[in-house]
Amino acid sequence: MSFLFNLLKGAFLRMLQLIWFGKRKISNSLSIYVKTNTGNTLSIDLDPKWDIRNLKEIVGPQLGISPEDIKIIFAGKELHNSTIIEECDLGQQSILHAIKLPPGKNRLNRKKDTKNLIEESIDEGSEANESGSKPLNETLIDLPLEDSDRHENHSEQEQQQARAHFYVYCSLPCKSVEAGKLRVRCATCGSGAVTVDRDPQCWPDVQQPRRITVHCENHDCQTLLSSLAQKDEGTPQVRYAQFYFKCANHVSLGEKDEAVPLYLIKPNLRNVPCLACTDTRDTVLVFPCEAGHVTCLDCFRDYCVARLRDRQFEFDDNHGYYTLPCPAGCQNSHISEVHHFRLLSPEQYEQYQRFGTEEYVLRAGGLLCPRPDCGMGIIPPDQTDEERSRSPDEDDCRRIQCIGGCGYVFCRRCLQGFHVGECDSQQPTTYSSTSAVSCLSGYAIDPLRASEAKWDEASKKTIQISTKPCPKCRTPTERDGGCMHMVCTRAGCSFQWCWVCQTEWTRDCMGSHWFG
Amino acid sequence: MAATRRLQKELSDLRASAMKNFTNIQVDEANILTWQGLILPDDPPYNKGAFRIEINFPAEYPFKPPRINFKTKIYHPNIDEKGQVCLAIISAENWKPATKTDQVIQALIALVNDPEPEHPLRADLAEEFLKDRRKFFKNAEEFTKKHAEKRRESASAE
Repeated sequence: MSFLFNLLKGAFLRMLQLIWFGKRKISNSLSIYVKTNTGNTLSIDLDPKWDIRNLKEIVGPQLGISPEDIKIIFAGKELHNSTIIEECDLGQQSILHAIKLPPGKNRLNRKKDTKNLIEESIDEGSEANESGSKPLNETLIDLPLEDSDRHENHSEQEQQQARAHFYVYCSLPCKSVEAGKLRVRCATCGSGAVTVDRDPQCWPDVQQPRRITVHCENHDCQTLLSSLAQKDEGTPQVRYAQFYFKCANHVSLGEKDEAVPLYLIKPNLRNVPCLACTDTRDTVLVFPCEAGHVTCLDCFRDYCVARLRDRQFEFDDNHGYYTLPCPAGCQNSHISEVHHFRLLSPEQYEQYQRFGTEEYVLRAGGLLCPRPDCGMGIIPPDQTDEERSRSPDEDDCRRIQCIGGCGYVFCRRCLQGFHVGECDSQQPTTYSSTSAVSCLSGYAIDPLRASEAKWDEASKKTIQISTKPCPKCRTPTERDGGCMHMVCTRAGCSFQWCWVCQTEWTRDCMGSHWFG
Repeated sequence: MAATRRLQKELSDLRASAMKNFTNIQVDEANILTWQGLILPDDPPYNKGAFRIEINFPAEYPFKPPRINFKTKIYHPNIDEKGQVCLAIISAENWKPATKTDQVIQALIALVNDPEPEHPLRADLAEEFLKDRRKFFKNAEEFTKKHAEKRRESASAE
């Protein structure tokens, strides 16, 4: 009797639920899209408290499929019926994938090509028809930087704590460093309707292609893959995962909305104190050195600013990055993802970019326009033999015009206005180019131009009085204290010289006038 | 600012540890970037006096090294008449942000105890140190008596 009653009660509640869903009166609703493998997209409002079974019951009727024949895929995982939606790291406008299972087929069949038949069938047995798993954000643990450094045998609690957190630089619309979300798609067809064959366990798994295989539900993918294989014999017949990141701070702007992962920033799960301020903070930056030195984000900013002010960022010659090493001076510790410097203020980051560009131009044998407020990078073309024979006079080789910038014409050697004959290193006066122009066109110097020249004159005098040129690269250098041992800070120079002798630093300088 | 937080911690650690050869640490409440203290070298000819030093930390500390100055005159090949000293551990090339001030002070005391005449700031004293050690000791001891501060605990400790 009670059995019958329960059955009736169950049915009644079920109907109530259906009516309630029909009305869609949802408090705190989450509005998402559901994409199907047949090309439809549904817009659905959800209550984050619902589970995946509820979702299937809504989606099913709209697609004309029985809820039991649907599987829901999100972030590379097929979601289990009992998974609560708010546990899935879903945001507004997130996209879920609903796949219609072919009638009579179950997971066993689709897995046949992956050679894990035995394993799968055991899996299948224990789970019955309750296929699917926990979402990626639940199972994924903190990613170590290196392959070798994988975590092993985490207890449930540890895993809970070590759950991966990501930080990204969101270039649009947030323009800031934000929490990030890991997502995955098929590397062949770009569809998000994929399930990963294993979770990524380290950053190389995420960053490097062809490390993790996926099962892609997109119907077109098979055709795409075979057509690719026809074109190129080398194309592998398996599908690989392509991981990417989204900013968790703003509402998803669609499938193309990505953010750069800042993989050196981590939650401080091991409670390592900052090497600079010795505080133990929640979020830290782990340098890519062998020791994995840790600074807090505040100290990382201070470190960058201190080095930026002195132009002491370094050029990684192997990769061409303008970057910093570990502050403890470790070998091979350059930060290779320069978006980490987005932790600086926008003005500082702009300065970083400008210095990096200038450094690049100088290293490439170029020049920077010496005109105040210009500074355009100029890489003079190599002179052809023809040009050289045409102008045996050396003057032409020294004549550089700031094309694309202010148009200033200057001497390559002394960086003063262009002149004929020897450079006058002692008395850099007004721009001779200004007078040259005036001679040609036949009218007097523009008064505005003249006043500018005066101003430049004043600052030139100051520079002349307060600086000495580096004996090697002639960069005006100011000494603001300390000993007489100077090290040139210009890119690629680093010449060590004596402030007193204005020649290379020697033992004699050290002995007789180290401190003046 | 990283410098303030770090220096507050270092200062309280240093005071708690009560180093034997670095005492009377004075820091202006308003400016934690400048410290003064007395160093008490163990070895002759400097073991009879106390030498006041000033440590200046840059605002970028610990990403830039501190500078050390002797306020007390000292007869030493590696410390010049103005009190400037060149210590490898705090040179721009060798500086590591993880180096603590107590390590710097220990290195300084080691340099005072064991002069390095091969990198002198005062070539005349270095020469004397190398050629006539006895004369150097005598001069240094007299200089110490004349200029150095008295050691407060000298009566009980020695």
